[in-house]
Amino acid sequence: MSIHIEDLTVRFKNSVTAIDHADLDIPNGIFGLLGENGAGKTTLMRVLTTVLKPTNGMVTLDGILYSEGNYEKIQRKIGYLPQEIELYPNLTVQECLEYMGDLAGVPKAECRKRIDYYLKKTSLIEHRKKKMKQLSGGMKRRVGLVQALLNEPEFLIVDEPTTGLDPEERIRIRNLLVDFSENRTVLFSTHVVEDLAATCNQLAIMHKGRFLYAGSMKNLTEEAQGKIWICKVPDERKAREVEQKYRITSKQYVEGGLQLRVISEIQPELECMSIPATLEDAYIYVTNQYE
Amino acid sequence: MKKEMKIVLPFYKIAYAVSFVVILSVIRAVVFTYEIGLSIEPPFAILTAVFCADTYVQEITSNRSEVQRLYQIKKRIYSIIQRLMIQGTFLLLLAVLGYGLFFAFQKPITHPVTESEILQFITCFGAIVVTIFFWGILANTLSMLFRNMWMGIGSSLLIWVATNSTGGDKLFGAWNLFSYSFRDIENTADITWLYGKGLCICIGLILLLALPKIVRKRG
Repeated sequence: MSIHIEDLTVRFKNSVTAIDHADLDIPNGIFGLLGENGAGKTTLMRVLTTVLKPTNGMVTLDGILYSEGNYEKIQRKIGYLPQEIELYPNLTVQECLEYMGDLAGVPKAECRKRIDYYLKKTSLIEHRKKKMKQLSGGMKRRVGLVQALLNEPEFLIVDEPTTGLDPEERIRIRNLLVDFSENRTVLFSTHVVEDLAATCNQLAIMHKGRFLYAGSMKNLTEEAQGKIWICKVPDERKAREVEQKYRITSKQYVEGGLQLRVISEIQPELECMSIPATLEDAYIYVTNQYE
Repeated sequence: MKKEMKIVLPFYKIAYAVSFVVILSVIRAVVFTYEIGLSIEPPFAILTAVFCADTYVQEITSNRSEVQRLYQIKKRIYSIIQRLMIQGTFLLLLAVLGYGLFFAFQKPITHPVTESEILQFITCFGAIVVTIFFWGILANTLSMLFRNMWMGIGSSLLIWVATNSTGGDKLFGAWNLFSYSFRDIENTADITWLYGKGLCICIGLILLLALPKIVRKRG
């Protein structure tokens, strides 16, 4: 399963361009979509789920063109977990999944089998009789993930599934996504860099409706190698001066002053040393270059 | 069906609908039994509009509609119709209860022109069935078009005010949506009020037929 996006543009009625002539190829496996809030990630996902029609450009899913006539065929291949979804609060977990499975057109017996399987996988089996409104945020998100998988989609789209979750729950969701990416394409959108670092090999960075980078995680971090510096300054005043000149990604009080993490093409004129770039550094470096 | 019931009949909706009917039967004075029907019909129209306005819009506000876009339209329409039927049946049972409560609280007497209490009840029942059918579909459709429950309720209320008024009666006559309530209750031979109810059925059916298109465009 692969997705091809060519010259995609989405312009809203209020003239806001959410996606601006974007090109992207999403291969099999788990693919990360990284970008700040408002970068256009959700809009892209809404196009891919056929909720939104693009203003311009072309999208294909395994060679099937996104067009009115093909929507039904495409929709059958997709599972979707939107950023914020409130599943039926008065239904139990089991009822909610059976109901959504039925709407998705999954035969009853098969649906029950799949619910059992995925509830076990997501450690929700003992909560199946609980009402949706009684679940914690993380559990609700896991149920949301199960509903997206009920039709055994070839292309799973998850929009910021870890937002607002505690670290343990975030790790759990991340691991589940990796498990579920076997033999399918998973598009994992987030603005949390460490979520992608822990799950994906391939990613794209979105910024103001454009793709600033698309490729492997390794190549991305390599782009920023030699451009990340740890500098030490004696006081806050000096730190502010450095901030005026360079992009600072972290600031920390240490013995004898402040330690700054600086992104710079050349070595800053300070007491500093070069350090290996992390994915977060690389992300900031790439977006910074664009600006 | 059981799941749809749980979705569209949460406790708070049942509670306010029952309270509405009990309060109505306590405060709305009727002297003769033939007044019960016209005391019930207009308030039930507005209760139905409020009750059914969130039938589908709850899917939009909860973002579930984004997932449902991936489902077959047939399944989605079937689900909406099932929900409207469940709510309609509940409201109809409530209307029957209300009819009985009027007898209990107001102790009305039979007017000499009333030929049969049973026939009077059946006529009222028929009119209420159409009222619930029409206002339920109307409120749901308007809410879907505006993608907002309150706009659906508000616009239904405007139509209610326009038709449930002396002006509306004069303008539409027997074709008024509330023709049953505005009929000449002492002239039992006059059945022209059926035109208004027939119109309600026709509009309701048209809105039902338009539902797939509305779900595709606005759902």
